Amino acid sequence: MSKLGKLYTGKQYIKRREWRGFRDTMYDFYRWLVTWKDLIKFVFSSPLRITRGIFTYRWMGSYLTTTAFIDRHSMGLRGTALRINHLHFNMMIKNTTQLIANQFKADKRFGKSTKLSDKIVLFDEMMPMHLMAGFPNLFGVPIQVAPVFQCSVIDQQSMIQYLDAVENFGLPSDVCPLPACEAGAGILDDYPQIGCCYVSSSMPCDGSVMASAFQSRYFDLPTFPLTLPVRYLDMETEAYAVQNMKDCIAFIEKHTGETYDWDAYFTAMKQYNKETEFEMQKWEINKTEYPQITGASLALYRMYSFLVAASMDKRFLKVQEKVNKLMMKGYEKKEKCSKEMRHRAVVWAPPAHYYSNFSTWAENCWGINVLIDMESLVATKFFNTEDKEETLKDLAHTYERMTMRRHTNGGFVNVLDELWNVCKEFNCDMVIMYVGISCKTMAGLTGLFEEQARDRGIHLIWVDHDLMDPRTVSRKEMRGFVNRYMTTVLREEPVDESLVDFNDEKTW
Amino acid sequence: MKDLKHLYYFEQLLEDANNQLVRQGKEEGKLALGYTCFHMPEVLLNLDNCFSLRLRAPKTGSMDIATYYMSNYTCEFCRAILERSIEGGFNFLDALLAVDACAQMNRCVENVEIQNLIDKEKFFVSHVDVPYKVDDSAITHYVQQIKLKVMDKLSENYGVDISDKSIRKAVEEHNALCRIITEIGNYRKEDNPRITGYEFHILTLISYACPRYLVMEKLTETLEELKTRECDDKKQFRAKVVMVGSEMDDPEFTKIIEESGALVVADRYCFGSFPGREEIILNDTEDVLMQVCRQYLVDSLCPRYMSTEKIDERRANVDYLFREFNADGVIYEQIKFCDYWGYERVLSGYVVNKDYGHPILSIDRPYMAKASGQLRTRIQAFVESLEIKKINKAKEGKKK
Repeated sequence: MSKLGKLYTGKQYIKRREWRGFRDTMYDFYRWLVTWKDLIKFVFSSPLRITRGIFTYRWMGSYLTTTAFIDRHSMGLRGTALRINHLHFNMMIKNTTQLIANQFKADKRFGKSTKLSDKIVLFDEMMPMHLMAGFPNLFGVPIQVAPVFQCSVIDQQSMIQYLDAVENFGLPSDVCPLPACEAGAGILDDYPQIGCCYVSSSMPCDGSVMASAFQSRYFDLPTFPLTLPVRYLDMETEAYAVQNMKDCIAFIEKHTGETYDWDAYFTAMKQYNKETEFEMQKWEINKTEYPQITGASLALYRMYSFLVAASMDKRFLKVQEKVNKLMMKGYEKKEKCSKEMRHRAVVWAPPAHYYSNFSTWAENCWGINVLIDMESLVATKFFNTEDKEETLKDLAHTYERMTMRRHTNGGFVNVLDELWNVCKEFNCDMVIMYVGISCKTMAGLTGLFEEQARDRGIHLIWVDHDLMDPRTVSRKEMRGFVNRYMTTVLREEPVDESLVDFNDEKTW
Repeated sequence: MKDLKHLYYFEQLLEDANNQLVRQGKEEGKLALGYTCFHMPEVLLNLDNCFSLRLRAPKTGSMDIATYYMSNYTCEFCRAILERSIEGGFNFLDALLAVDACAQMNRCVENVEIQNLIDKEKFFVSHVDVPYKVDDSAITHYVQQIKLKVMDKLSENYGVDISDKSIRKAVEEHNALCRIITEIGNYRKEDNPRITGYEFHILTLISYACPRYLVMEKLTETLEELKTRECDDKKQFRAKVVMVGSEMDDPEFTKIIEESGALVVADRYCFGSFPGREEIILNDTEDVLMQVCRQYLVDSLCPRYMSTEKIDERRANVDYLFREFNADGVIYEQIKFCDYWGYERVLSGYVVNKDYGHPILSIDRPYMAKASGQLRTRIQAFVESLEIKKINKAKEGKKK
């Protein structure tokens, strides 16, 4: 019997690496080395500036814990699931290091870098980057990704400083911690000094809308608010959405002197279509009795490749191809994705950044396989790759249905009715319903979720969290919600008893 | 000062959403159209045989059932409206015209819709998409939304006359109301104003929460009364403040402020007169509906507008009100859990203080604030600080 909980020391590190049998342990260790190789390669891409970056920005220290971050998400995995997990995470790390390296190379804090900086267009992180595919000579940088979004999933302690800063400034602690952290990073002056203009965004929620005022003031650059209609299911809103996209392209052209390159854009969108096809195939396999990719591996990769990479990095397609081959092989061999597969679950509502491996824990501890999650189920419409007007409609459609926004905007049908459709499609008996205690769009439907789940006989487990702030609801407390439900309502025995109660509040 | 003749009557009307005048309007065969936000053009809800009601939930006590449906982390105003709907307090409405401008109010209205809380044959709920910036395409989009989701539906469901002539008539009546409220409000510019912030809050609320054709007469009489009203010789306040912030339909909160020594001379909040009680000036060349909608977008000072011009405009507007109404300080208030005003209060409060030099008090509050001793203490402290500033300024003036 696995005793994964025994690996935790109550401190930042674990006692030793997990023993998965010779073959899988060696593979896992090899991947650990590959991660370090990528990190070292990243430092050597611009040694002086990156070293200065490490000592200048508070968030850079967290990236030194990247291998521990991947380890957390690999726990308990074997065979195909382990390999796919590593391929996913490694691709994200490669792209992130490149993103950070580009920012440091252009950072005005580290010397005159006007030429490169003038080629950078800053984007709000909660917005897909596909638009930039038509500007191959420019770099689109989702500016908060490295300091906030990515960093918050790597190191649970990393966002506390930003939250404290913004709350000391007077912001109520009941607003969503994600935009609050973005604003806090500005207050602490923790963003690279780069870019010639900034595209802010109304996506995905009211908190993001308002944090953009902090960001615009901090960056002090020409700013374009990309504001797509909220009621996106109404077809009559399409014209306004398309006009917004056109205006945004014109804004970037104006401030960079570049002209939109439709050929480059169409090339990237062809890749997008292929990637989307692969992604949907993952879901199809997960609908069967032999799902192959579960939990955070599915969710984080989907979110990252959709929002940040946005089909402009060819390596993502290669990874998708490799993953697809492995997945199909595993499926044909009827390989199990975890030791025990007791419950088929959907994760709904935004997950805790500081506990992105929560579903990995649920799988190892209780045999709950998270087959799909809200954040993965973003737009899947294929882009027109020939007609400019049509493709702009597809672009607007995709932006409107981006991460979180796809469900939390546009009316209750997108989040309430949609959940039951997803449960049916994936044949799920359980919903892990995250309660981001500051997420008002989800909170506003609390009672209806509860009632409708009861009517359908679905096990709905409410799991409170505070998105970026582990002090409000710790990881241990989050696990407690599931533990209580499993022992009191379902009266089940854990798959791995050592994971029921352990201390990881001080870990990364 | 002698009490205003109709003040008690107005106060009584505000005790209930379905008040005496609303019932009278319904008995006269009018359609009661509820709405919850400035972004639903009020004037268009007063066409033909309709009257508008900006929804409030006076005397809210327990919100337990609404809290079950919306959790205890959401705006109390939204929960109070839902609670009142569940209790059947809005069953008299013929339509609920909502805007998807704020996620929490949107969820509140969706709860009303899904739970079928107002069960009437022709009753309908609309969700209008409101843009986050104001430019030509945004105006076109907004006009289209209003036409499809408000005008056409009123016409289809109830046969309401939505012609240009009908809109122009509603605008005229709206303007008449606005002129009265503005004229009354201008008395707050006086050195020793003949009207208190509380009284003005009551009058403004009346204009939002009652059929306007039934309140015009008494509002006009009140204006006439004010023209000759005499103030007490001694000022009943120690400082004048501009109130800026989110939804506020509780006049008791204004009373708390005034009991603490501050006179509210400008009301820049939802349910206030800035914006909301400006005349709509129509020309004969452009589409009437477009002109009306454009004015609502242009006038709006809601923090959800993201463009730099609008952000700057909001702060400049506070500065304008401060100077125009001879205020000594600004109170930024926010109803708890309001994301928009949570951010706006903090950042704009900081900027207005730093860039314009105005003293700021920044507070969050519950929906019903009457019993809050903590708020009273904070306001008293702010008033004292304003007084000290005045004394110091006077001393400096003497030295020079």
